[in-house]
Amino acid sequence: MSDDAADVQRVLAGDVDAYTALVDRYYDRCARFAVRMLGNRDDAEDALQATFLRAYRALDRYQERDRFSAWLYRILVNQCRSVAARRAHRERVFVREEALLLNAPDRTPVWSGEDEEFVQRVLTELDPLLREAFLLKYIEELSYEEMSALTGVGVSALKMRVKRACDRLRERWERIKHD
Amino acid sequence: MTDSEQLHPYVEWIIREARRPVVTDPDARDRVIEAIRVEPLPRRTAVVRRIFAPRVFRLSPVTGALLAAGLVGIGVIAGAVSFNRDGRVAVEQPSVAAKPLPVSDTIVKFVFFAPRAQQVSLVGDFNDWDIAKTPMNRSARGGLWSVTVPLSAGRHVYAFVVDGSSWSADPSAPFAPDDGFGHANSVKLVGRGSSL
Amino acid sequence: MRFRRTPFGAPGSRRVSVRAVRAAVLVFGASVTLRTLRAQETEPDRLARLDANTRFTIHVLMDSAEMAGLPSSALRSIALQGISLKADSKTIVAAVRQELANLRTARTTLGPVEPEELTAAAALLHAGAKPGQLEKFRVRQRGRSDLQAFTIWADLITRGVPSEDASSAITKLWDDGADDATFLSLWNNVQSDILRGLNPGAALQARVRETPGRPPTAKGQPPEGQQENTRSE
Repeated sequence: MSDDAADVQRVLAGDVDAYTALVDRYYDRCARFAVRMLGNRDDAEDALQATFLRAYRALDRYQERDRFSAWLYRILVNQCRSVAARRAHRERVFVREEALLLNAPDRTPVWSGEDEEFVQRVLTELDPLLREAFLLKYIEELSYEEMSALTGVGVSALKMRVKRACDRLRERWERIKHD
Repeated sequence: MTDSEQLHPYVEWIIREARRPVVTDPDARDRVIEAIRVEPLPRRTAVVRRIFAPRVFRLSPVTGALLAAGLVGIGVIAGAVSFNRDGRVAVEQPSVAAKPLPVSDTIVKFVFFAPRAQQVSLVGDFNDWDIAKTPMNRSARGGLWSVTVPLSAGRHVYAFVVDGSSWSADPSAPFAPDDGFGHANSVKLVGRGSSL
Repeated sequence: MRFRRTPFGAPGSRRVSVRAVRAAVLVFGASVTLRTLRAQETEPDRLARLDANTRFTIHVLMDSAEMAGLPSSALRSIALQGISLKADSKTIVAAVRQELANLRTARTTLGPVEPEELTAAAALLHAGAKPGQLEKFRVRQRGRSDLQAFTIWADLITRGVPSEDASSAITKLWDDGADDATFLSLWNNVQSDILRGLNPGAALQARVRETPGRPPTAKGQPPEGQQENTRSE
């Protein structure tokens, strides 16, 4: 029995701290996906909170034969989509970190440097569906089968999205090069 | 993954950078734990149906399509903020140069005294700091080197390079502070006046 | 996301200069080096001399500059300077990052000004001036450019004049309406004094005292009988 499965059993048996262990194990990785996907930390934190809450409530339906991470990620991906959909209604725009900092002076810096900010900007320019596929494939390093189970999209469609994402990124590089 | 597919180096770089961990707010994580603690414990019993159980395992085709439509509606966001950059130089100031040099609007003469030099080059932001681009000419007598170059209006930073490796600022021009390489350069301001 | 070039260093400006240069050769009979007129586009990018990672990083920084409305050519120039100096990649990247930071501060302090004012202000901040000291230059005055003032100011600090002294001297002259010629004249005088062995701060104070702020048409001679360059605006 994996650590994850064991912890799930413990939580179901009444040991809440075991869930804390699960959160600790997956928070950073989920945070990375959420931030890369949504482009800003506020939304990412919303998605993360909703994800871990929902996972907790649905723990009894987690089946040991699934990988816990895949199961958790299905929730995460859907939560990110929900947050993004809600955001569309509020017409939030991806802003540079300075604007975020100005509005929230007591928060820790969002981006750790120029490079990260740039990469995030480039990712956020991608169409959300392409971005999602690209992140799952190359950042989360899932197999296409796992991605398919997670997103409900067929494998060949996912492969096409990943390829298109790479094409767009390459095109962008060509544009930058001609300075 | 179709591992046979070679990724463009730029895409690989993006991936590498994106794989780095993100800065997280520790308070946010604590809030998650707090929220969990006030939740009722999830029960193992399959009989208990949770009224508000989220349908997290499968998106129905309709829901999926709606979500997808919603996401596509968001569209591409970044880069929407564009900045107006005025590329035109509108400097209305008289031509300025170091004391002894005659200066016209776009033709600028640089002079450097280096009697023992074998070769002197002019380098600056107008020639990509390329030592090979603008060699200077030694005057017939004495150690004066000079060259005349066309410069666009505005501010230029430059230096002289003696014998291919020894960089020197122009003693007759204001300093431009050290850019981080250990030596100061010189500043030439070129004004826009009557053109030729 | 196209980069747009700033005027200096841009191929466009060189094409204009070709005509000007030909005329100059006819009029002045001066020997002009034509090497610099060779079109940049046909040459390989000198940044290619850097390793791939460094080159990426610099392009990233240049892109950030462009996104913020700052002149990326200034960053490119720093990188090229580093290449010519055979500096190591780490030093070059640090210098480029620093320039971007300086440009950002300059933009925040001065607002939307011309690229060369930004680079001059960035250099001034880099030399040691404080953003607060530049704030009064935010107010745009018609017909006045702060390029000369900033240049002299940065030079004085680089020569060892204490930052506060340089700031108050330049600001005082600026407030008094000093023109480019006045700043240049001040600089010439201070420089000779320093060469003669005077302490830079003291030299500056002395020369400022004797320098009339207003353009020469309105004032008499300074005590020592020094001639000022008279230039009309």
